Amino acid sequence: MTKALAVDSYLLGDAESVVARVRVGDPAALEILYRAYEAPVFNLARRICRTVEDAEDVLQETFFEVYRSIGQYRGDGPLWGWVRRVASSKALMRLRRNKYRETDELFDEVHAVRREDTPLRMDLEAALERLPATSRAVVWLHDVEGYTHEEIAGMMDRTPSFSKSQLSRAHAKLRIWLGEEVRS
Amino acid sequence: MTHLTMDQLVALRDAVSEPGSAESQAHVAACAACAAELDRLHQRVARLRALPTLRPPRDRFAEVGARVRQDRRQRHIRRAGIGALALAASLLLLVIGRDVMAPPAANASGQLTAVMAESATLEQALRQIRESGQVTDAYTTRAATTLEDRIAELDRELESAQLRAASGTDAGLLPLWRERVGLMDALVDVHLTRASNVGL
Ligand SMILES: [Zn+2]
Repeated sequence: MTKALAVDSYLLGDAESVVARVRVGDPAALEILYRAYEAPVFNLARRICRTVEDAEDVLQETFFEVYRSIGQYRGDGPLWGWVRRVASSKALMRLRRNKYRETDELFDEVHAVRREDTPLRMDLEAALERLPATSRAVVWLHDVEGYTHEEIAGMMDRTPSFSKSQLSRAHAKLRIWLGEEVRS
Repeated sequence: MTHLTMDQLVALRDAVSEPGSAESQAHVAACAACAAELDRLHQRVARLRALPTLRPPRDRFAEVGARVRQDRRQRHIRRAGIGALALAASLLLLVIGRDVMAPPAANASGQLTAVMAESATLEQALRQIRESGQVTDAYTTRAATTLEDRIAELDRELESAQLRAASGTDAGLLPLWRERVGLMDALVDVHLTRASNVGL
């Protein structure tokens, strides 16, 4: 099953009435939204953030923001698209907040030193986990969630060419770590 | 012949044609190595998209709901001002403070104690609001009566659940108390909304 099909199933049947109820502050309606989107929101957050705890916080922050900002959703696109945008911003915000603890450069260096222990072929999950935070976020948002470089640049407060170079850096690393160069 | 860089390969996938993309296209059409590399790139993306959806290890909706309630109360309190409702407002802020400051209780009995305390504080705040002698209109009275009836019904359920709990199992008490707090909360909202509308 492709990801696109899975995402379609997240659409709520009666999104319009649920949104109207969230707007007037009905907590039961917010819970319907939460149940419908908690898995894709958490998945996005977990793929972007380094830890489960950060992803859980992003999940919580996303739905609080959905409740607070639902008035800004004009109903002109799918609800999931709007919720996903909120989740992506929250996840990126979390990355930025953690930046002082762990810079990408430092992370790269640590791994460069340990390059010898790198197994010949890594599992995709492990390889993704190992990418520097910014590259991982860009590869996920672009290749899986389907955002353009312009959109990613807007969310990250960077330029589209920054997003492009992060994406190719990520692919260059994944290619090596997945052992693809040994395949004929 | 110079093969394509990763930058060029990645750019080839984008629908918008980039400067130099025609040359890259032509190169891929003529070069088996780069065609294979582009194919690997497509496969890698397909595998990323096929990764399983990771699910949250715990249900976080209770925390979301608590923050929403805090937010609503704070807004109502701000709108209602203080005056006659000063004591009720300070009690409600106490509930808000507890929601914000208290680390989530790990065990069921800790959670139960917290929810019961919240219920008691809300009860006290409601008494203050009622005693402040605000004018109630038909709508407020009707909404309040419905909620009060549901709370009374819930209290009967709680009573029998508490009897069962005394005989060993206290399963089922926590959701009932949570529901009670939710109803009390809605009742506070009904009164405060009215109070803020008449500018008490
Ligand atoms: Zn080539």
